[in-house]
Amino acid sequence: MSRTRRWIVNAFLGFLIAGSLYDIVLDQEHWPFSQYPMFSGIWRETSFTWYRLVGVRDDGVEVTLDRNAFVRPFDQSRLHLALVRLAGAPDAANRLRKAVENCLQRYERRRVRGAHAGPRLHAMRLYLFKWRLDAEAQNVDAPDGRQLIAEVARSEAGLP
Amino acid sequence: MKRRFSPATAWNRFWFAPGPAVRLGLARAIFCGSAFFFYLPQDFTEWGTAAPVFWMPIWLFETFHIPVLPSHALGMLQTVWKASLALCAVGLWTRTSAFVAAALGMYLLGLPHNFGATQHFDTLVVFAFCILAMSQAGDARSLDSMLRPSRSRAPRLGAEYTWPIRAMWMLTALVFFGAGTSKLRHSGIEWVLSDNLQLLLMRAYYHVSDGDPLTSLGLVIAQHPFAARVFAATALAIETLYIIALFSRRARPVIGAAGIALLVGIRTLMGPTFEPYLICALFCFPWHRVEALFVRLVTGPSPTPEIAEPRRDPPAAPTPQPAIVFRSLL
Repeated sequence: MSRTRRWIVNAFLGFLIAGSLYDIVLDQEHWPFSQYPMFSGIWRETSFTWYRLVGVRDDGVEVTLDRNAFVRPFDQSRLHLALVRLAGAPDAANRLRKAVENCLQRYERRRVRGAHAGPRLHAMRLYLFKWRLDAEAQNVDAPDGRQLIAEVARSEAGLP
Repeated sequence: MKRRFSPATAWNRFWFAPGPAVRLGLARAIFCGSAFFFYLPQDFTEWGTAAPVFWMPIWLFETFHIPVLPSHALGMLQTVWKASLALCAVGLWTRTSAFVAAALGMYLLGLPHNFGATQHFDTLVVFAFCILAMSQAGDARSLDSMLRPSRSRAPRLGAEYTWPIRAMWMLTALVFFGAGTSKLRHSGIEWVLSDNLQLLLMRAYYHVSDGDPLTSLGLVIAQHPFAARVFAATALAIETLYIIALFSRRARPVIGAAGIALLVGIRTLMGPTFEPYLICALFCFPWHRVEALFVRLVTGPSPTPEIAEPRRDPPAAPTPQPAIVFRSLL
C-alpha cells in the first residue's frame, strides 16, 4: 500500500467516522449519516391519530387503503409523515388535495397494471383516523374517530 | 521494557494489519449478491410519478441540487445499478462496477427520503457500497482475478484487505451506538421503565410502518408489562454496548449475534424493514473461515495456504478441535 493510497484511505475513514460522530453528538441528521432517532421518544398515549387514505368504490362503499401496495412507492409510515408536513405548511388544504389527487392517480395506474388487487375507485378520501390502542388490535378496521381532510373525485384527477 | 501507547500505531494496527484478500473478496461477492437479489424486485421508477407537492429534499439532494428524474430515466438508472451489483458480486470490472453501484445506490436509495420522511434502514448499505468502491475487493474470488495473468496477481495478504471489513464493523457499531444514545438522550432510563415499548408494540399492529409485523407475538409481549420492559432493557443494552465489539475480540461474536437478533426481533414484532442491515451483516462475517472449513471437510485436514489467515492473539493459539470449530468461525 503506497503512502498516497494510505493517506486517501485514512481521509476516507476519517470522513466516515467524523460524519457519523458529528450527527450522533449533535443529534442531527445528514443522510446517509444519522443519529438514528427512531423510537427514541417515550410513547405515553393510549390513543393516536394517523392519516389514512380511503377509496370510494363506484357503488359508494368505502375501502380503507391500509396496505402498502395501495400507496406505493410510499408506505403507510412515509405517507403519513409526508401528510403531517403538508398539513403544517402554508396553504395546507390545497397541498393536501394535490397529494390525494396524486395518490389516486398512482393507485389507478398501478391497479390497471395489476400491481395490486384493489377495486376501481370512484374517488379517494383522506381521513385523520383516531384509535384507542386495543390490547389485541381488534379495532384496526374500526377507528374510534375520523375526520375528513380532503376528497378528490376520479374525474377531478383527470382519470377516465 | 514497557511500550508507550501511540494513537497512530494503534490506528494503523486496527485498520491496516495485513489481512487475507479472500476475506474481502468473499465479503464483496456475498454482500453484493445478496443486495442484488434483495433490490432486484424493487422498483424505483414510481418515485418519478410522485407529485411535486411531496418533494421535501434532504440536505444531500438540496445542497447539490439533485432532482428527481422522470420515471423512464429512473428505469434506466436502476437497470444499470442492478447490473453493477451483479457485476460486483461476480467480480467483473470490479472497481468500475463498485463505483457505479456506490454512485447510483446513493441516488436511488437516497431518493425516497426526499418524500416526507428520512428512514434509516438503508444507510449502512450505502456506506458499504462506498467502502467497496474505495477498496480493492476484486483481488480475490472474482472473475477479474481469474482473468488476470498470474504474474500480475495481487498478494494474498495485505493492508488493503483489512480496512474495508473494519470500516463496516465501525459503522455498524456507530449505527447501534447512535440508536442507543438517541434513546438515552431523549428519554433516559424511562425508555425502559415506562409503558413505552408496550404501547409501541400495540401500535405497530395498526399498519403504521413501512412493513407490518411478521407475527402477532408483539401483542402477546405487550400484554405483559414486565416482559416488555425486559425487551426494552435488552434492546437498549445491545444498542448502547454494541461499540464494545470494536475493541473486544471475545465479545465481538456475541454482540454481533445479539445485534442481528435485535434487528430480526424488531422486524418480527414491530414491522420496520431492517433487512438491508442483515445484508450488511453478511459483509462483516468471516466467510473465508467458512470456506476454509468447507475446503478442509472436502479435501482433508490441511488448510490451503491461500485461505489460511495468520492469527495474532493469542500468539500460539492451538488448532481448533472439531467440537469448537464453529465458535472459531466468529
